[in-house]
Amino acid sequence: MDKRFIARGVTRTSQKNFFLWLLPWIVLLIVGIYAAYLCLAKGLNQTNMDNRFAFGLWIYLDLSVIALGAGAFFTGFLLYIMKRKELKAVINSAVVLGLICYSGAVAALMVDVGQPLRAWFTFWYPNVHSMLTEVTFCLTCYLTVLAIEYIPILLKNRQIKNIPSMLVFEYELHKVMVVFAAVGTFLSLFHQGSLGGLYGVLTARPFAYRPAIGIWPTTFFLFIVSAAAAGPSFILVTTWFVSKISKKKLVRPEVLQELGKISGVLLFIYIIFKSIDTFVWLHNIAPSLGFTAGDFYRYGSFGIWILIVEVVVCGWLPAIMLLRKKVRSQTVWLVLAATLACAGIVLNRFVMTIQTLALPTLPFDRYLTYTPSWQEITMFLAVLAYGVLLYSCSFRYLTLFPQERELQSA
Amino acid sequence: MFPFIYGFQWNVGTVIFLGLFFFVAIIIGVTLIASMLRTRRAMRTRSIDAIRWEIDFHDLPISARACRHELSGELPQRTCDNGFDCRSCPFHAQCLAQQATTPETISSPSFETIYGFSLPSDRMYHRGHTWIKREDDGTFTIGLDDFAQRLMSSPDSIELPSVGTTLELNGKAWNMKKGDSSLRILSPLDGVVLAAGNGLEGWFLKIKPVASIVNTNHLLNAHEAALWIRREFDRLQNLLSDHTLGATLADGGTPIPDFIAAYPDKNWDKIYCDLFLEV
Repeated sequence: MDKRFIARGVTRTSQKNFFLWLLPWIVLLIVGIYAAYLCLAKGLNQTNMDNRFAFGLWIYLDLSVIALGAGAFFTGFLLYIMKRKELKAVINSAVVLGLICYSGAVAALMVDVGQPLRAWFTFWYPNVHSMLTEVTFCLTCYLTVLAIEYIPILLKNRQIKNIPSMLVFEYELHKVMVVFAAVGTFLSLFHQGSLGGLYGVLTARPFAYRPAIGIWPTTFFLFIVSAAAAGPSFILVTTWFVSKISKKKLVRPEVLQELGKISGVLLFIYIIFKSIDTFVWLHNIAPSLGFTAGDFYRYGSFGIWILIVEVVVCGWLPAIMLLRKKVRSQTVWLVLAATLACAGIVLNRFVMTIQTLALPTLPFDRYLTYTPSWQEITMFLAVLAYGVLLYSCSFRYLTLFPQERELQSA
Repeated sequence: MFPFIYGFQWNVGTVIFLGLFFFVAIIIGVTLIASMLRTRRAMRTRSIDAIRWEIDFHDLPISARACRHELSGELPQRTCDNGFDCRSCPFHAQCLAQQATTPETISSPSFETIYGFSLPSDRMYHRGHTWIKREDDGTFTIGLDDFAQRLMSSPDSIELPSVGTTLELNGKAWNMKKGDSSLRILSPLDGVVLAAGNGLEGWFLKIKPVASIVNTNHLLNAHEAALWIRREFDRLQNLLSDHTLGATLADGGTPIPDFIAAYPDKNWDKIYCDLFLEV
């Protein structure tokens, strides 16, 4: 019945199978929307966050998806500005992933911040000295850019492009996409950095505090490079995953290898600076504030292993793997390395958000643990469900992978 | 945010931060509005068919966009980026100039058939599998080439334009339906429809060209068409193969009149799209 909306030359599963695939995600989304309603109607007492643990699962989710969603801006930058034409094969998918990540993050933030009717206050009365204000402005602008970048993909739907005005609008929008790619890059660099800077300026939290280079702490720069490194890896992993689930060849192997190479170079640069930053922090900054490395890694499950996993297993290892052509040429190793790279960045955001708040700072402080409430967890899962639903519908009805038709036999 | 808002202060931080924000917001807004205005202008000044072809052409697989100079063997590989319009292609003009100054040009044997496909040499061929034939009275006859006829064999329905309709190069000439597939056949020339046939006589349309002097340099002659059809046949074989055997040696023979009958289970919609330049 919906066949006339599916792009020509590609095959998709039956409508019944598609609906069955969507059903559990729809249920999850509905439960999450109910949890969001509870939080908005009754307040944050529905969560297990408190004055000490003001950042919880949602902020961790926001930081993670925004880092992974960086693939959208970075792929756009490489394709439209650096003219890496081979990335045209994944740009549509990258835009959809970016849109999902950023809109999901904004939705979670809206529930977390609360009072949605006063959301405009942040723009009308901005605190220009706050990193969060910068993040809010950039996120809003970049989400607008992503929505605009999604329009041409939507307008290329088989039925929509039959409407002449839509066809021409898509044609004209495509011509100015380089402007949006440049604006997206500018915005992304700043808000990715500001999210990192947010932690680096916490002078009262020696675990997160870092000295400034210019006006920004080192975490500002580390967040930018890490997001740029994780973005292409996330696109690589999702493309491979969608290819496996749909049982279709979506892109040529060289495209995945190229993504792996880009990610590997950036990850290598990131992990060098991350290692230097960690070394300086443990040997100079923390001792100057009265802490030793052991003080940070002796509470609960936050042992030294977490640092080793983040820097070595999910940092150096995938960086070296992705830099080696031999590894990149084997899909299994390529995907494993990219997955490790993504996991490393997600773990970094977890450490910066949760471990920072869990560790005691003052002599009378105690180590705190926090377990999210069911409302927080279902909201978290609802964002995931929303992403799967939007991506699934986009994959079915829009052309996310232009090479798919060519790679598919009749 | 604005000087008249309570709490606003004129300082460097405020000016830089809000200045950047407004700058970015204005760029986004202006670019979007400019696209809308350009859309309105394009809809007035350009034909939809031309824009559709430009979009579709760039979305075609690279294998479908081989330059005619690649087909002829002059170049090892070159992908067309000019919508198969060699009339305005500087590279084609350069090649023609070189051929004119080179004493020994590539030999041009005349083919009447290639791999069993008929290719009369009195016609010019379009990459959308149509041909044109200049008549004595200055009009042109348009038909489907032999390769396309074997692909479509007996279509379920044909929707031809009415007499007096203006056709545009690479715009829709007529529609054909076969099974679940609807196919848009591209016009090989600009012109006004004088008569519509049904294909049984070997032609579909007779047109009067719009221009007084008709430039057909964008079309392939029989020699070039033979090389192109050979490539198209390879693409068809590739599409029909299940990619499990790899390359196999051809066992000879001539093509059958109805390909669909031989491969009823294949995705013919995809094959039509690929070979008739549809996206």
